[in-house]
Amino acid sequence: MEKMSRVTTALSGSALTGRTMHCHLDAPANAISVCRDAAQVVVAGRSIFKIYAIEEEQFVEKLNLRVGRKPSLNLSCADVVWHQMDENLLATAATNGVVVTWNLGRPSRNKQDQLFTEHKRTVNKVCFHPTEAHVLLSGSQDGFMKCFDLRRKDSVSTFSGQSESVRDVQFSIRDYFTFASTFENGNVQLWDIRRPDRCERMFTAHNGPVFCCDWHPEDRGWLATGGRDKMVKVWDMTTHRAKEMHCVQTIASVARVKWRPECRHHLATCSMMVDHNIYVWDVRRPFVPAAMFEEHRDVTTGIAWRHPHDPSFLLSGSKDSTLCQHLFRDASQPVERANPEGLCYGLFGDLAFAAKESLVAAESGRKPYMGDRRHPIFFKRKLDPAEPFSGLASSALSVFETESGGGSMSWFVDTAERYALAGRPLAELCDHNAKVARELGRNQVAQTWTMLRIIYCSPGLVSSANLNHSVGKGSSCGLPLMNSFNLKDMGPGLGSETRLDRSKGDTRSDTALLDSSATLITNEDNEETEGSDVPADYLLGDVEGEEDELYPLDTEHVHPEEPEYVLPQEAFPLRHEIVDTPSGPEHLQDKADSPHVSGNEADTASLAPVDSSSSLLSVSHALYDSRLPPDFFSVLVRDMLHFYAEQGDVQMAVSVLIVLGERVRKDIDEQTQEHWYTSYIDLLQRFCLWNVSNEVVKLSTSRAVSCLNQASTTLHVNCSHCKRPMSSRGWVCDRCHRCASMCAVCHHVVKGLFVWCQGCSHGGHLQHIMKWLEGSSHCPAGCGHLCEYS
Amino acid sequence: MFVARSIAADHKDLIHDVSFDFHGRRMATCSSDQSVKVWDKSESGDWHCTASWKTHSGSVWRVTWAHPEFGQVLASCSFDRTAAVWEEIVGESNDKLRGQSHWVKRTTLVDSRTSVTDVKFAPKHMGLMLATCSADGIVRIYEAPDVMNLSQWSLQHEISCKLSCSCISWNPSSSRAHSPMIAVGSDDSSPNAMAKVQIFEYNENTRKYAKAETLMTVTDPVHDIAFAPNLGRSFHILAIATKDVRIFTLKPVRKELTSSGGPTKFEIHIVAQFDNHNSQVWRVSWNITGTVLASSGDDGCVRLWKANYMDNWKCTGILKGNGSPVNGTSQLGNSNPSLSSNTPNLQNSLHGSSAGRYFFPPLDSPRAGSRWSSCAQLLPPPAPLVEHSCDADSANLQYPHPRRGDRSRPLNPLPENEGV
Repeated sequence: MEKMSRVTTALSGSALTGRTMHCHLDAPANAISVCRDAAQVVVAGRSIFKIYAIEEEQFVEKLNLRVGRKPSLNLSCADVVWHQMDENLLATAATNGVVVTWNLGRPSRNKQDQLFTEHKRTVNKVCFHPTEAHVLLSGSQDGFMKCFDLRRKDSVSTFSGQSESVRDVQFSIRDYFTFASTFENGNVQLWDIRRPDRCERMFTAHNGPVFCCDWHPEDRGWLATGGRDKMVKVWDMTTHRAKEMHCVQTIASVARVKWRPECRHHLATCSMMVDHNIYVWDVRRPFVPAAMFEEHRDVTTGIAWRHPHDPSFLLSGSKDSTLCQHLFRDASQPVERANPEGLCYGLFGDLAFAAKESLVAAESGRKPYMGDRRHPIFFKRKLDPAEPFSGLASSALSVFETESGGGSMSWFVDTAERYALAGRPLAELCDHNAKVARELGRNQVAQTWTMLRIIYCSPGLVSSANLNHSVGKGSSCGLPLMNSFNLKDMGPGLGSETRLDRSKGDTRSDTALLDSSATLITNEDNEETEGSDVPADYLLGDVEGEEDELYPLDTEHVHPEEPEYVLPQEAFPLRHEIVDTPSGPEHLQDKADSPHVSGNEADTASLAPVDSSSSLLSVSHALYDSRLPPDFFSVLVRDMLHFYAEQGDVQMAVSVLIVLGERVRKDIDEQTQEHWYTSYIDLLQRFCLWNVSNEVVKLSTSRAVSCLNQASTTLHVNCSHCKRPMSSRGWVCDRCHRCASMCAVCHHVVKGLFVWCQGCSHGGHLQHIMKWLEGSSHCPAGCGHLCEYS
Repeated sequence: MFVARSIAADHKDLIHDVSFDFHGRRMATCSSDQSVKVWDKSESGDWHCTASWKTHSGSVWRVTWAHPEFGQVLASCSFDRTAAVWEEIVGESNDKLRGQSHWVKRTTLVDSRTSVTDVKFAPKHMGLMLATCSADGIVRIYEAPDVMNLSQWSLQHEISCKLSCSCISWNPSSSRAHSPMIAVGSDDSSPNAMAKVQIFEYNENTRKYAKAETLMTVTDPVHDIAFAPNLGRSFHILAIATKDVRIFTLKPVRKELTSSGGPTKFEIHIVAQFDNHNSQVWRVSWNITGTVLASSGDDGCVRLWKANYMDNWKCTGILKGNGSPVNGTSQLGNSNPSLSSNTPNLQNSLHGSSAGRYFFPPLDSPRAGSRWSSCAQLLPPPAPLVEHSCDADSANLQYPHPRRGDRSRPLNPLPENEGV
């Protein structure tokens, strides 16, 4: 009957209104409790005990229950509870172990009604029976729970938990006689109020103290418990054994837990330390709070839903001496802010992408769940505004892998492995690298290498060519040995090719360019008019100093740095090919995609403005034909390197830098070079190209880079004679003063790869030792040790 | 050309971050289910989960790898207000037998009073350092003075950003010309339109991080921020995920022009801004050379962006990423990771159906007068999938060469031309 009345009251009340607000208290609160009319709240603490009216815009202090000149310890409240049937009845638990009841209907200022001084230590919790007006339950630090009948002066019964302190007691809403109690040792006990001798059921709910519990208002068998282990667990108590239904992991120990009215799966929690926020969880999504209230600046000590049938108002008291009313719609929702996607670009151009399934599942992305039969649940819940679906969300993880080619970085690895950076003449390096680039389909890079070769490798040849022949060869400057061959066929061919290319490939070739090439062509036509026009004069003037270089084949004496200069054999096929192909256009055709072209022909081709930088470069070629020293191009090359670096191809920048060496190094500032080197090395190491990386480090001229190889590489070797670790650097043992790195097989000093047995300290050339150990298992030094090589 | 390999991640809640390691052979995922998983790529290309463990007591927002020089080290950050550093332990034979590796927590960084929203290791050349940012607007920079001891981290700097931070990015440049720099994005959604991206630079003289720049034009919540890998560039590129994708360039103004000692001044240009996702953009990520940007938004798509030789950024691909079937083809999205990639007919059916994951930009209806018109040329139209290459040279000669034609910058016209 009484229960009925309560419900009616609640439903008859008009809808609650209000806003998120707070008021300052004089002292930290320990607990709050709401009157059943949802219009008043009582705040209790160590030095505060007040009733506030909850008005539309603010809290208004209505009554201070802490009266008297010298407040007794009885007023130092650990807990407070407002009777849910009698608006005038309150109970407090005092830190000195006293349970006090208060009657607001008393006419005097002091509303204190009854005093129960039965507990020996702090009373942690008091609780009224939900339907029985006179029954009060208390749980204390001393490990006892007591049941009081307010019509009597002392307790009706005492329950001994037989374990540590009682942290919470809560009457079940479902069973008239049942209450739950939680203990500091992690246990939860279920008692029948009529049987104080032993508990009905006991189970361990948490690891560490269980600070709180709350019966579900609708699902009567559900009990939520919160503990110091940062967890909230929901138990189904209807079954024979308490069954864990849900487990919510919070970020701090749980001090209070309260089911949210009207929302079957929601509960609010607050923490005892560290964390000042109040969270509302959907127990079905145990990892992310559905809502979060962040108003408090200190630990929240008490939370209460304002009305048992209204899910949107939450009241809270805190150690920061404030009382707050939180509106659910003002809560911050971590779910909303949480990033639903993860994306990462892999080294090989593959993409890892994780996205919330609903995002990728929705066909169009912007028409969510329309008639989607596969998501009936989604659909249904979307309709329910009070409880937007927040059940388990999951992500789909996929990796988009690049198929070979395309975006994969295989070109980088191939290029890095196949490029030649040193150890050969410049021209060969350039040719080799151009070939590598072309084979990998990187035509622009290939062209660049070819041009570099032209710029830096052929001055002597060209000059001689020009001395011997007319300016007409200017356009064919890339053919160093031409002077010895028939240029009559060749000149016009090249000239026309150049012209054709320009008119074709050059989108905006300026007239000056065409003019220049035209001049050259005319020059070719009358081959003997040596130096008849301006460029020719210029050329001759420039060449004067190198006049001895008549025959490039013996230029060894001529040019000081001419090891790069041995390419005669490459010229021969060229000659034949050109003779065989008399017409320019054909020549042009096979040039573009013939990987087998000889270096020289490639050079020729490059004269034509195939490259990106076409127009400008072809100009420079024309100029170059006019004998410009390589220095002239350094600006150009520098800009080109910068260009490559900025396009993300630091490989090209570094490779060119190494190959050209001194020729360009001085033009690029040290820091930039170092930056390129370190970037490239980093990239090589990402691809595990350790050998290439090491080579680059070795070849680099930047001090900061080359010392990378010297860092933290320690080699521990034993002397092969005295068999003691070599302490000094170098290969001479400082004990026996002999060279330790003798090959045990050939008795020569090992340079390069040295392998040694850690058992007997003997070693030698890798090849020798391997070979030796194929035939014998004993040490080649004859020490009798059975060496193993794996 | 991309092949999607869906992986049964088996996380119990949303995955918030995916991260590849330095060599691209390992992957870490983190989720709201408070766990981190490590995936290793097998020889056949399949990804296997080799470790999964509970890392935090709240949602794990980010996970990131340290440079392998420091070992196999991960850092994670979480809603539980901590960041943690994890190291893989080798030699646990029991675990190895089960194909699982063992990760131990080396340290917990507990300085934040609010959710730690991002954690990033500094570029290797700076040593073993990491930065965290938190919802209370503080960026913290920690250093492990002894790289061999991962349990000792000292808080070096605390930078207050005034705004709730959501993401950070170190400038990866290894150049000595660029002092350490960190960009911070905020997802503060309060209505006051404050700039949401701040850039802090280390000042050698004061030994402190000082604000170098604020991107005033970004006023919407920023969800992700990423400096492009700087392989020898003189300037920096910064991608921002906010309500759209934005790409900024930051060109340092030469030192001699600025007053010495102060922070570097930058010339900041916005070079691209795309709202093609039509919604919140959540993530941006650069490829290794810093030439292609991938972005993902609320539309569930990944878009790839690439600049042409004119520095015009264009979409070069759209990937619809889901491991689950969209329209009935229910076998496709199951947990077998090899299924989608190894069976060609499945691939085809996938591609043919409306559930296809790949689209070409033209599907994204070009808007009149927009940059899209020229985009179609860059792509081979009938080719099946995305053409995206880090190297413009691999494009066929038939296509307009990105760098062919009138690029005047690298190769300046020479004055002597005229004379010829």
